[in-house]
Formats: sequence, C-alpha cells, structure tokens
Amino acid sequence: MSYKIPMGPYHPALEEPYKLDMFCEGETVSDAKLHIGFNFRGIEHLAETRNYIQVIALMERVCGICSNIHTLTLCQAMEQLTGLTPPPRALYIRVVMAELERLHSHVLWAGIAGKLMGFKTMFMTCFALREKVMDVLQVISGNRVNYSMNCIGGVNRDISDPLAVLTMVEQLEREMVRTIIPIFTTSTTARSRCAGIGVLTHEKAISCGVVGPTARASGVAQDLRRAAPYAAYAELEFTVPVETAGDVRARLFVRALEIMESCRILRQALAKMPPGEWHGGDRKAVFSTGTAVSRVEAPRGEVVYSVSWKENSRNPARVHVRTPTFQNMPAIRWMVIGARLADTPLIQASIDPCYSCTDR
Amino acid sequence: MNPIESIREKLGTAEVWTESGGVHWLATSGVNVRQLAAVMNEVQARFVTITAIELPERGFRLEYLWDLGGQMLGFPFVLSANSVESIYDLCEAVDWIEREVHEGFAVDFLGRDYEPLLLRAGDKPGVNLHEELL
Repeated sequence: MSYKIPMGPYHPALEEPYKLDMFCEGETVSDAKLHIGFNFRGIEHLAETRNYIQVIALMERVCGICSNIHTLTLCQAMEQLTGLTPPPRALYIRVVMAELERLHSHVLWAGIAGKLMGFKTMFMTCFALREKVMDVLQVISGNRVNYSMNCIGGVNRDISDPLAVLTMVEQLEREMVRTIIPIFTTSTTARSRCAGIGVLTHEKAISCGVVGPTARASGVAQDLRRAAPYAAYAELEFTVPVETAGDVRARLFVRALEIMESCRILRQALAKMPPGEWHGGDRKAVFSTGTAVSRVEAPRGEVVYSVSWKENSRNPARVHVRTPTFQNMPAIRWMVIGARLADTPLIQASIDPCYSCTDR
Repeated sequence: MNPIESIREKLGTAEVWTESGGVHWLATSGVNVRQLAAVMNEVQARFVTITAIELPERGFRLEYLWDLGGQMLGFPFVLSANSVESIYDLCEAVDWIEREVHEGFAVDFLGRDYEPLLLRAGDKPGVNLHEELL
C-alpha cells in the first residue's frame, strides 16, 4: 500500500525546520521531496545595505554552528578586493579557530546522531565534550557561539599564550580518544544502526556535487584545505580521510577521523605559531571594483562567497553565499530511496544539515 | 595541454583566461551555456554555484562557477532578457541554485520544471531580490 508521509517542517528529529515528504510502499521509501525556505532571512539582500564592518557581523549570523567560517570566507574575499594581506600569525589564529569550530561541529553532530540512534549515552558524552571545546573557544575569543575573530587584514584578538591553549587541546584530544572515537568506530550500537543505510554511491555523489564529509564518505577525495589551501594550511601536515561505502557509518567514520586530524592540525598550529602582528593595523580598507570569490572547507564542506564591490562604495554590491548543506541536501532524496522509514531521521541527519545556512 | 587550456579549445572560443578575485574567468561571447556544461562534464569539473547579479541598466549577469582540481573557473553570461537555458539535465548539481535564482530574481531557466523552494513571500518569483519587483 502506498502512503505519503511528511516529516517536518517541525519534527523531533530536525534541529531546524525543513520538510521531507516521503512516498512509501509499506515501510520502504520509494521517493522523497524536500522543501526548504522556512528559515529564509534575506541575508544576501541585507548584506547590500551594510558597510564593510557591519557586513562581517551580519554574515557571522548566517550559521550558529560554523559562524567563524562565514566571516573567514567573507574576509578572505574582501581582502582580495582591498589588497590587504593578513600577517602570518593571523593566518595561524584563523586555522586554530577553524579547527576548533570543526571539532565542536563534529562532536555536536555526533551527539545528535547518537540521539537519533537511540544511544542516549553517546548523546550526553558528546554534548559534555562539546562544552569543553566551547570553553577553549571562549578562552581565545571571549565568546562561545559568535566569536567575532575575523576582520579584514587579520583577526580581532591574539592568542597571547598558545602553549596554554595547546595544553587544553591536548586534554581535549585525550578525552576524544578515550570516549567519542571508540563510540564512533567500534560501538556495536552505532555500527548496527548505521552500516548499510542511506547509501550515496560514488557516481551519485559526483553527479550531485556534494561536498565535505558527505562527499568524502562516498569516495570523493576533495578537501579545500588540501586542494586550494588558505590561511596557513599549506604549512601544516594532515591527511584527508576518505571512505568508500557511502553509508551513514562511512560518514560517521570520516568525521571521527577528521576529529583526530583536527587535533593534529591544532597541535601543529599552536606550536608553530609565528610571533608578530595579528591585526591589519590602521590600514584603511579601500575597495576596488570587481568580484572576488573565496572558499573555505567548513565542517560540513565547501563554503563559497562571491562578493562584488564598486569602487568608493562602503557597501557590497552583491554577496552570494553557497553553503555546503545547500549542495548536500538534494542528495538526501537518493539516500532515502529504498530505506526503511524508521531509518530516515538518521539518514537525513547524516549529512549534518544546517537549514539556517541553507536558507540564509 | 593543461586541462584549463583544453576547455578553451573544446568551447572553440578565441577568448583568453584572465585571473582575478581568486577565479580564472573566461568570457563567453558566442558560447552557449549548455555547450559549456557539456564541456565541463567532459573535463570532470565540479559544479560549484551560479551567482546572479542584477545589472543597473537592465538584465542580469549569471556567473557560473566550476572547480577543476582546486582551481575555480568562472564563466559570466549576460542576459538581456530574463531567461536562459537550463543545464539541469546535463548537471544535476545545479538543481537548487537554478530554483533559487528563479525564485529570488525571477530569472527563467528554460526547459525545466520548478518545485518551489519557499524562499519567497507571496506567490510571485523575484519579490525578494529582483529590484524592479521589490
């Protein structure tokens, strides 16, 4: 018997509103339609009404989880238009912030995935650990969600004692290795709930143009930190984890390995942080006419900013944001076709969707 | 021949690549957007996005962006009318961005159907971003 079963826009499995209409034959999903737009805030249009200082604060609010990534990408684009180059220390601080944000994003996602698996211990363990990551972010920036770290030509705050932060990061890494990584990789509960479900084939991943851990779990080895290095990534050693199964477990696995790689990057960045200036100083931002495109590897994948400016204008002429979830979400349709209805909340969550980013 | 140069040859254009703002740009005079999509498939480039920019005089510029081995490639198309051929059947990854540009700017991508993305107030596309309709 055929049914149409709507999930959302308000549903316990969804962190934010969106709608997934599933067409089922019995318990099996035969097709699905996705509807977004419930969080549309017109941020791209608003950006055209803000000056080059205000627009940074505005774009930090595109996303509540990867807020730092949005200002980093925007500032990189504006630096191309102004010719202002951040000093080396600022580039390292940007890496530290980006990797801490990746840690807290991946741990938060793992907690939510744990909740959807019915694995409440994993949920609570992850959220307790995420608090500690946010403590480190607070020590550096004074903030726990919107860090206000990036500005044109550098960062707003120095990491005055990198070795103290390094000690905190090493403590975090020990706890990750002791608790979360074994749950991610060897737990029978996680394996039995995640293996073989929500498969996105390598061919479909390429065809849909998916990005980030969703792509890497389907055997697409793309990571902008390696392919088009920004900030100080070219000077740091790390590997890009890739899995080929394309199922929910592969996405879990890729994120677990990325947590370890983030800790490795953080250790290097904090230990090698060069001395010197971290801010662009009093140099005035003078924009030239043109378009600059900047990309960053956010926790969920590639974020793209296309920023257009007209000379002598204080406001951008156009800011276009392409978020990773915008590119990944259409692939959910292919992941849920053939799946059991009961698995669909976990499958849709496995891309770590962010609907606020998507709708802007 | 490097892959980026081979794109020029496959498109049969005399234009040259220029680099600015982190993108290798190729002007598209005489190039059809569907021809471009077919060539990008051939060289296995990854579609990134379309940026729509409303021109002050009238019309739009659509900047199609692809990634090839970590290099961003940009192809600007100026639309005198508010329509352009869709490349959805050639490149599945453009689905949502074509829908978003349609809803935000009322640009029609010809040859495809739209599911609404609900990014608009009311029942007319373009009310959010298209200056004439604001």
